[in-house]
Amino acid sequence: MSKKTRYFLAGSAAVLAVGLCTGLFAYYGGGFPSLSASRSGPPELSYVPADASIVAYANVGEIMASELRQRLKQAMPDEKGQREFQEATGIDIERDIQYVVAAVTSAAPSNANGLVVARGNFNPTQLETLAREHGGVVEEYKGKRLVKVSDVRVETPPGGEEVHRVGHQMALAFLEPGLVAIGGEQAIKSSIDAQLTAQSITSNEDMMELVADIDRGNNAWAVGRFDAIANQANLPDQIRRQIPAVKTFAVMSHIDGGVSGTLRAEARDDQSAENLRQVVQGFIALGRMQAGSDPRIAAMVQSLQLSGSGRTVSLSFTVPAEIFDMIPKVRGGGGAGAAVAPAAPRPPQPPSPPQAEK
Amino acid sequence: MVESATPTVRIPTAPGYFTSALRVFDLSIGEMLWSRRTIFMGLVVGAPVVISLIVRAVDALGATIQTNGVRVAGPTIFGILIWVLYLRIIVPVLGVFYGTSLIADEVEDKTITYLFTRPIPRGAVLVGKYIAYLACTIFVVLPSVMIVYLAIVPMRGSLGASFIDLVKDLILLAIGLAVYGALFAFVGARFKRPLLAGLIFIFGWEQAALAFPGYLKKFTVAYYLQALVPHAMPSDGVMSLMQGFFRETPSLAASLAWLLGILLAFLWAAAVTVERKEYVLEQ
Repeated sequence: MSKKTRYFLAGSAAVLAVGLCTGLFAYYGGGFPSLSASRSGPPELSYVPADASIVAYANVGEIMASELRQRLKQAMPDEKGQREFQEATGIDIERDIQYVVAAVTSAAPSNANGLVVARGNFNPTQLETLAREHGGVVEEYKGKRLVKVSDVRVETPPGGEEVHRVGHQMALAFLEPGLVAIGGEQAIKSSIDAQLTAQSITSNEDMMELVADIDRGNNAWAVGRFDAIANQANLPDQIRRQIPAVKTFAVMSHIDGGVSGTLRAEARDDQSAENLRQVVQGFIALGRMQAGSDPRIAAMVQSLQLSGSGRTVSLSFTVPAEIFDMIPKVRGGGGAGAAVAPAAPRPPQPPSPPQAEK
Repeated sequence: MVESATPTVRIPTAPGYFTSALRVFDLSIGEMLWSRRTIFMGLVVGAPVVISLIVRAVDALGATIQTNGVRVAGPTIFGILIWVLYLRIIVPVLGVFYGTSLIADEVEDKTITYLFTRPIPRGAVLVGKYIAYLACTIFVVLPSVMIVYLAIVPMRGSLGASFIDLVKDLILLAIGLAVYGALFAFVGARFKRPLLAGLIFIFGWEQAALAFPGYLKKFTVAYYLQALVPHAMPSDGVMSLMQGFFRETPSLAASLAWLLGILLAFLWAAAVTVERKEYVLEQ
């Protein structure tokens, strides 16, 4: 072997060794993370209990100002519910809410515990008055003002008297100026505890890893532990067996003109991920074959991009703005293009009879 | 009485099979590495490196890399490059070009006589050349994968999170080079015009067999090799769409066992062919 050959082989081996050592160092040290990933998410995550199985975020302000929202507004201009909500609460959803963080701490149907933490401009007095008008009770919990509203159901057994049953207790808490939490009473109390004891979702490494992987450009996302949801939801065994072995999932999307995003799932092992990838790949192939002649649908199906490696399965998608034109307009009742049919041309005026000269 | 001492000259014993193979390896690796074929290999292996550096530069300038309107992260691009360039093109093509030439080149250059007149088993010549091919291609292909990994993966991805996949990629590419090399070493030793047969096999037979349902795909190397890939299969055309639709994945153990079986069977068959075949040098 000549000296030149030896040098070449040594050089190649050195490149390999440097790369492997760098990768190994990054693998064990958790270093060299994503260059542009958000590491911490919104600060309101400190109000989400550590055992939450789903955490979601939506930049309401950005979404409301998006081109997509304007299109939807044109399609469904009658926003009576939104107007009524504003009159009752003083909150204009379009302008007053900056963003919301939502979480589910228990997915069990018997003990569903949802929590929504909203950042924006709120009028606490008006909200409290509204709650009181609906039978709300105000109390203090660890220094935070809590308004509790009970869901009272009136049941009349056959041949008996009316029975008033207190159902699920909802609560509204004023956590900080401009920050309110709405949800089940237990969830709200857990949220306050989580923030005070620093035992929030930010201390849950698994979930925070998922949050850290969310790209900053996304204005709506959700992450969750699929296993926790499946366990708490008391699903029948037959259904549970059909659910793929997905451990965690993350959905992230950017809403502007259209919706683009990524759906990512982490399976229990490489084999489960491979199986899931094949199933999704099959559906994509089927979708592309069935896309038909509508270029809008074809563009959407073409945008489906399956990726991922190891235990990760990733599906990227783009829903073009044109797709939303297919939503029938409320007043027009027709489809997109024909939603508001152009007015029929007026028939020409009949010639006026010649006026007799006086 | 004076006894006349006759000096005895001991004839050195011929080296064993593997010692012979290593000597042929030592002789061949330099020739193989600094041949014209290496320029071709450099171009083929350099393409993904150049692509990754361009992608990285474009990303650094603030432009986003999109596929069908969807923003793509570094690990995804890395997975696509492994699938599309390395696994479907580079590994089989290098296997064909180098594997078929192991014996065919010596026959064509009429230098095989010099090797066969040495006191070494003929089969060891092929095995030695095969090891040289393996060292030559592995030391060129794997560093290029490493450069692509370091350049591409940090774009909205994590080097640490992709490290295990990188190791799997390196192993499967090395296995791919070994198996394709053994297969085409046999083709080169056995058939005339082996290059044409090899190209038809990788771009004709393998692609077609994988795109249709049934058992035919089991008669391809790609079927077992693709089962080891940790990345999602890209659907970048009608053929890959069909391959994805009808894809079956054998288990890891079955894939490794079959690949090892193919490697050993074809390497043995190639060595036996070289041992037995009379190569007629055209005048």
